Amino acid sequence: MIEKKVVVNLEHGLHARPATQFVKLASSFKSEITIEKEGKTAAAKSIMGVMALAVAKGTEILLKANGPDENEAVEALGRFLSEYSES
Amino acid sequence: MFKKLFGSKQAKAETIIAPLQGRLVSIEEVPDPTFSEKMLGEGVAIIPEMGKVVSPVNGEVIQLFPTKHAIGIHSEKGLEILIHIGLETVAMKGEGFISHVKVGDKVKAGDLLIEFSLELVKERAAHTITPVVITNSEKIKKLDVESQSPVTIGNSPIMKVELKD
Repeated sequence: MIEKKVVVNLEHGLHARPATQFVKLASSFKSEITIEKEGKTAAAKSIMGVMALAVAKGTEILLKANGPDENEAVEALGRFLSEYSES
Repeated sequence: MFKKLFGSKQAKAETIIAPLQGRLVSIEEVPDPTFSEKMLGEGVAIIPEMGKVVSPVNGEVIQLFPTKHAIGIHSEKGLEILIHIGLETVAMKGEGFISHVKVGDKVKAGDLLIEFSLELVKERAAHTITPVVITNSEKIKKLDVESQSPVTIGNSPIMKVELKD
């Protein structure tokens, strides 16, 4: 199990487009991954769950991954949330 | 939460009715690959004539984006339906959108969810086209998309779904 705190830098937060890409990225890993905001947890592979968290820009979230590729998962997803920019 | 119906071997079916008034188009026609490539799931889209969104099914509001341009309903039968008003509407930061529900509210098909300014969306967003997507498409055994257009809000069926057991 690995955890990582990330500050979301997405311009409009985790709305449909980046949420879809986030879920697609999360689904490419074997590990079970969750994203937590202010005590509420969602499965990172569920689009509705992720969008329901209503993560805005500047929010700090907690990524948790458990599985064979947990390190890579948390690294990749963390980078996505903090570095992705929509043109 | 599971509800097991004793002895029922009948397939679970759900009719999704039009949450908006307007022209029904296929999801592949939405000028945004996030929707047209079905990355979010199967569905349809409506080009609205009116700035009103009602619930397409009986269920519960499970998601409401703070900018009120996207709402998610969990139907009684287990489908998760996302209604995304317009394209690039997140950039409007909620201006022109009024929500009549909040997360956790139980709704019936036809209940008013959101009102929005169609004019403002036309002016400020990329498009008014509103995808209606089933985000847990893995639950779908069979999907029939209606083709009759235009659709009447709260009335016309837009999709008929047979769910997996």
